[in-house]
Amino acid sequence: MLQTAVQKNSQDIHEITDGEFELFRDFFYRKTGIKFENSKHYFVDKRIVERINKTGKRDFRTYFTFVRFQKSGEELQQLINSMTVNETYFYREEYQFQCLTESVLNEVVKNSRGVDKPLRIWSVPSSTGEEPYSIAIYLIENWPMIDSIDVEILASDIDSKVLDKCNKGVYSERSVQNLPKRVLKKYFTKKVDGSYQICNDLRGAITFSKVNLSDSVHSKKIRGIDIVFCRNLLIYFDDESRRQAAEVFFDALNPGGFIFLGHSESMSRISPLFKVKKFPRAIVYQKPM
Amino acid sequence: MAIKQYIKVEDREHLPLEHESRNNRRNYSGLCEQLSSEEVTERRWAIRDLSGYPESAPDLLKLLESNPCLAEREALFDSLQLIGGETVIKGALQLLHSEYAGLRNGAIEILQSKPDMTGEHIEELLTDSDSDIRIFAIDILQKLPHEKTPEWLIGVIKYDKHINVLASAVDRLAEVGTKEMIPELEGLKQKFNEESYLCFAIDLAITRIQGD
Repeated sequence: MLQTAVQKNSQDIHEITDGEFELFRDFFYRKTGIKFENSKHYFVDKRIVERINKTGKRDFRTYFTFVRFQKSGEELQQLINSMTVNETYFYREEYQFQCLTESVLNEVVKNSRGVDKPLRIWSVPSSTGEEPYSIAIYLIENWPMIDSIDVEILASDIDSKVLDKCNKGVYSERSVQNLPKRVLKKYFTKKVDGSYQICNDLRGAITFSKVNLSDSVHSKKIRGIDIVFCRNLLIYFDDESRRQAAEVFFDALNPGGFIFLGHSESMSRISPLFKVKKFPRAIVYQKPM
Repeated sequence: MAIKQYIKVEDREHLPLEHESRNNRRNYSGLCEQLSSEEVTERRWAIRDLSGYPESAPDLLKLLESNPCLAEREALFDSLQLIGGETVIKGALQLLHSEYAGLRNGAIEILQSKPDMTGEHIEELLTDSDSDIRIFAIDILQKLPHEKTPEWLIGVIKYDKHINVLASAVDRLAEVGTKEMIPELEGLKQKFNEESYLCFAIDLAITRIQGD
């Protein structure tokens, strides 16, 4: 039997057995949609044991009962935070951008609009801007129709500090490391401190705005969107807030519009309002026509 | 490059938005009137705006009973969840008897989101004469963050006789049961030793509880 033992101090050892791992895995999947394979056993164990020690619980069962029945859900949130990687960079999950330019955009154009109306993409949360800028660059580089159709990119976040960073458009070497050299050279200027400044054309092309998805008055103003990118955000919401966010997206999207979620997220687990659409590169969710 | 500035959110009020119904009256009586609009979009907006008016709960529940379209139904559940309160809980309990699965599932989600108020009704649900209602009660317990959940489930396996109700309770105990509950599970296995599925579920639950 595979077991993990982490020593807290000389008297206190916590162990997570295979059975406990499975119990936790099923619970976590039901709450978040994130499923851990057996290969992640060690990764998961390490974090659970850390939380057991931090919360002062005597063993896995006691801790699990605490997480399972805590009404505020705070400890579950702590676990989610420790189990997920909160990191963003250019061209993250590039297959979704490929799906966008190879399939989704063409379908939006074909279904609902023609070429005379601007196409609207909403990136939320924008975080420090890597995602909306990646979308812009990917469209310019890979979508031939960009020459004939106007695209508007709205990037929103609840945090005004990260929006300031978006506007400045300065990124670390780590943040741009996935970009092809040619693209990096074309859209960025390397500064003396080693950081990269994104070009002014792109900075001016994207609109950044502060939006709180849980504030219905504010979020209702966003309408006429064709494509939403909302990746790795809903995982941090409770069930009620997820449902509300789904309602916001439903009202913001045009009929036939699409939502991209993070690879571990599933709209089907949140709301029946959207249809699952399988494209060769990715699964996307669509508001019915 | 054809990537253009999106009009700033704060300036959006000046946009002539197509199919925009925001010019409608947004006070309580205006919103109630819009609930019977012929346009689904308008009804949806009214439903969502009414989440700020707890007194609208009876009207929203009444709309749900008519089994509206999916878009409207989801907005109704969302608003009712935000409103909360005893009227909503009682309405959700009533919806468990609906013949429409979508309404029952939505009701279960509302009840799961209000653990304290729902907790007060769990015992009556678990002793309902309709076995389906008892199974829905166990479904509610699946995600209800309430410390009495294991105790309620043990009550089910002690006193209920319906095989599907028992199997549902055993499944839930696999997750939330403790080692002290194993004798109760073993007793249930003895009592129903000819029900192979139930015995299998009990063995699985015991293994899970033991954490092996």
